[in-house]
Amino acid sequence: MKELPELARDADDAVRLVSGLLRRGETGEAFRERVRTESWSATESGLLAPALSVESGTAVRIRREGRLLLVARSGAGPEALRDAVREAGRLAGNAPFFKAHRTTGAAPGGRDAERPEEEESRSAALAAALARAFPDPRGVTAALQLSRVVTERTVVTPRAFLPCGARTRLVATGTIRRAGAERPFSFQSARPFAEAADALALALREAIRPVPALPPQPGPVDVVFSPSAASVFWHEVVGHSLEADGGERGSVLSRVKGAAVAPPGLDVHDDPGRADLPGAYGVDDEGSLARAVPLLAGGVVTGLLSDRRSGAVETNGHGRTASFRRPPRARMSNLVANAGSATLDELVARCGDGILVKEVATGSADPESGRFVLFVAAAEAIRRGRRNAPLAPFALGGEILSALGAIEEVWGNEVLPATGLSVCVKGGDAVPVGGAAAALLVRGLFARTARR
Amino acid sequence: MTPASDDGLFERVLEAGSTDGCGAELYERRGRLLELTEDETGTSLLESGERGLALRLFKGGRSAFAASGLAHAFSLPDQARARLPRARTRRGVRLPAPAAGEALEPRPIGDPPAPNVDLARTLLTGFRQALTSSGRGSVAVREASVSLGERTERLATSSGRDTAWGSRLATLVATVVGRSTGGRFSARVVGAAPRPEELPVARLARHAADRVLLPLQGRPFEAARADVLLDPLVAAHLVGRLAPLFFGDDEEVLLAARTRDGRDALASPLLSVVDDATVSGGLVRGVRDGEGTPQGRTRLVERGLPSGRLTDSAAASRLSRPLSGNAIRVAWSDAPRIGVTNFFVDPSPGVSPLDLLGSVSRGLYAAVLLERPDVDLAADRFRIVVAGYAVEKGRATERVSEAAVSGRLSEFLRGVSGIGDDLKFAIGGTGSIGSPTLLVPRWKLG
Repeated sequence: MKELPELARDADDAVRLVSGLLRRGETGEAFRERVRTESWSATESGLLAPALSVESGTAVRIRREGRLLLVARSGAGPEALRDAVREAGRLAGNAPFFKAHRTTGAAPGGRDAERPEEEESRSAALAAALARAFPDPRGVTAALQLSRVVTERTVVTPRAFLPCGARTRLVATGTIRRAGAERPFSFQSARPFAEAADALALALREAIRPVPALPPQPGPVDVVFSPSAASVFWHEVVGHSLEADGGERGSVLSRVKGAAVAPPGLDVHDDPGRADLPGAYGVDDEGSLARAVPLLAGGVVTGLLSDRRSGAVETNGHGRTASFRRPPRARMSNLVANAGSATLDELVARCGDGILVKEVATGSADPESGRFVLFVAAAEAIRRGRRNAPLAPFALGGEILSALGAIEEVWGNEVLPATGLSVCVKGGDAVPVGGAAAALLVRGLFARTARR
Repeated sequence: MTPASDDGLFERVLEAGSTDGCGAELYERRGRLLELTEDETGTSLLESGERGLALRLFKGGRSAFAASGLAHAFSLPDQARARLPRARTRRGVRLPAPAAGEALEPRPIGDPPAPNVDLARTLLTGFRQALTSSGRGSVAVREASVSLGERTERLATSSGRDTAWGSRLATLVATVVGRSTGGRFSARVVGAAPRPEELPVARLARHAADRVLLPLQGRPFEAARADVLLDPLVAAHLVGRLAPLFFGDDEEVLLAARTRDGRDALASPLLSVVDDATVSGGLVRGVRDGEGTPQGRTRLVERGLPSGRLTDSAAASRLSRPLSGNAIRVAWSDAPRIGVTNFFVDPSPGVSPLDLLGSVSRGLYAAVLLERPDVDLAADRFRIVVAGYAVEKGRATERVSEAAVSGRLSEFLRGVSGIGDDLKFAIGGTGSIGSPTLLVPRWKLG
């Protein structure tokens, strides 16, 4: 008989426990998570020290009239669930129903299911990727942490046991120095391990290229975003502004719902169902079915990403959490924009004088004031409608409504996945996200130096 | 503290790890956290308990790490042992030994007590009241949360170290929104203290009000060059970015380049930098580090000249320096690495900040950071974007909505001509970072 996964061994009892906990007027669920992280410290000369951590946890959440109670415990077995239910019941003033019939959880001493030879082959693949990335490590100093993270999640509602599946990511963070300049390095891929390792090698090779010396002149500038950079633009400008955790009127965009803010024909939606992108899931972390939500339809503000706590707005399957210890919040998954009709070269020609932004390293937005900043990692100048010299990293700022209003009515004809968008940190909570977009021309953004 | 319910598990895992000639170090952490959050939707209460074990095995200059919760604790020795051959041999990597005279009796730990929710509620109410007063009705709380945490830790090695200790931390995190005729502006502020009753609630409320009102009510600073007075919390975030220079032997080459092999100073003779796990006002109250080494005070920069290093046992061995107790475990599931406890500029030669202000003829008082400081240690460059006040003849004249201070970091640090006696700490790095007010005359802006 096939062994049940660790998180699902007591499925029937778990559902009974959760339904017995909740009183009239309350909603809630239990959430189980198991995270297995194989990691390696590494330098430009190869892998140094391997490490493994396996962390599992259980949370029980009870909601009533805008209040949330969350009790979290280490361990994803029946005991942890019973302990969390007992404590949640005590804190909520309930009398939880306890009649566990079968307990088949893993006893202390359980072994990890992963096979050692598979891990060994992954170590070899990573070592090879590093060798390809740094064929001649002279003059380069890298301090990296490489991790393969496997996350399994399950939500137990009063009616059902909902496995959210397992997600595997290759994550790399650290710093790279070359020619007297240091740059942070961050990479994440949800692709199969071999492909992810190849992509990591490419990203590292890109990161050690010499940095151009000249940033753009500070001041207003017209900008063509590559498809990858456009995904980060949409993420900061539209995505964060339409996450419901700021309230229905908490951002410059949610305050103008129904208004046309961008060119007609422009659609942006959040789609957790895009399995090829890192932010995909089928059931959110509150047990709601994931749904695609249109945020801009024909340039008009139409939607809001919501979770179970979003006040007057019903959940649309965007309750996401960074860990079982944190409460879910309304968060983006994969932000996808539609294709237009122009090629990238046509947009560059249309721009005249300006900047072609190829990659954005990171960004931030204040949905309340509408200000946003994008830190550009790779860009080229545009002179008289032609691509020109590479530019040093710089920052690009703007105001959300003005920037949306300044998007040219013609945009790129090819929608491509973002390469620089993988994790979004908000309020200290990091969740995997993705994006796919076409190239864009936005007039009148504001360039400034990032450091010098 | 409740007694441990599974006596013997810790000892059995340690014993299983220390076979085959391996040196074994086993670490256990138990923690409780209570977080009360109030936002526009309502209230949330989080109560969290954690327990995890981490094993490091050492053999022939190699080490491997494995960590798990209770359910997989007995597999840790096998997991670590399987990884040991894949580790690279590195000089100095060996099992930390107990200090001479260290007590060796086994010390089981229990779960810390549950934090007090009423205390968290009182702190949130206090913050709201202080913000109403500081913001004069123009600032609202969008979300505020108080976290009260406590943990107990135990570390034992096959070489005889067996020690246990505990610590606490309280934090207040708030997202506030400022509104004026000029628009809206929101910001997230964080305050922390080793004990809840020490949380600087009123100071955090003033800081939060400045953080959102200055950008709305001020004007951009126009001068190209001016005296720059950095508020302690602004200075702390800049000085804190120097910390990696002192992480063991990681940055010996860079440090030598910055100081021309010790011929130049790293900073002004007024600046001495210290890491001290026990300093008054520091957010960390450390007893032992993640290798069980007793923590203390390490002088890193003495009157502008580099003098010390932060070490774990491997770096201390390679550098032939004493252990500083800076092997930090950020989480039980992370291997220890070198980090700061309370890393700060020593304020002992400082004067009153009002005296520093009085010495400014035309300048900028940088009261709050608007963005995370951008610092490149390798390129010796920095840029901070701040809001604050314009200063003329020792008096604040008008609010400044935004100003950028940037340039060569070593020149900036060597240019410090005055320091205050008002040391303050903020959360930063793996612990806390601190500074008093710093004055740098005639610095270029923009």
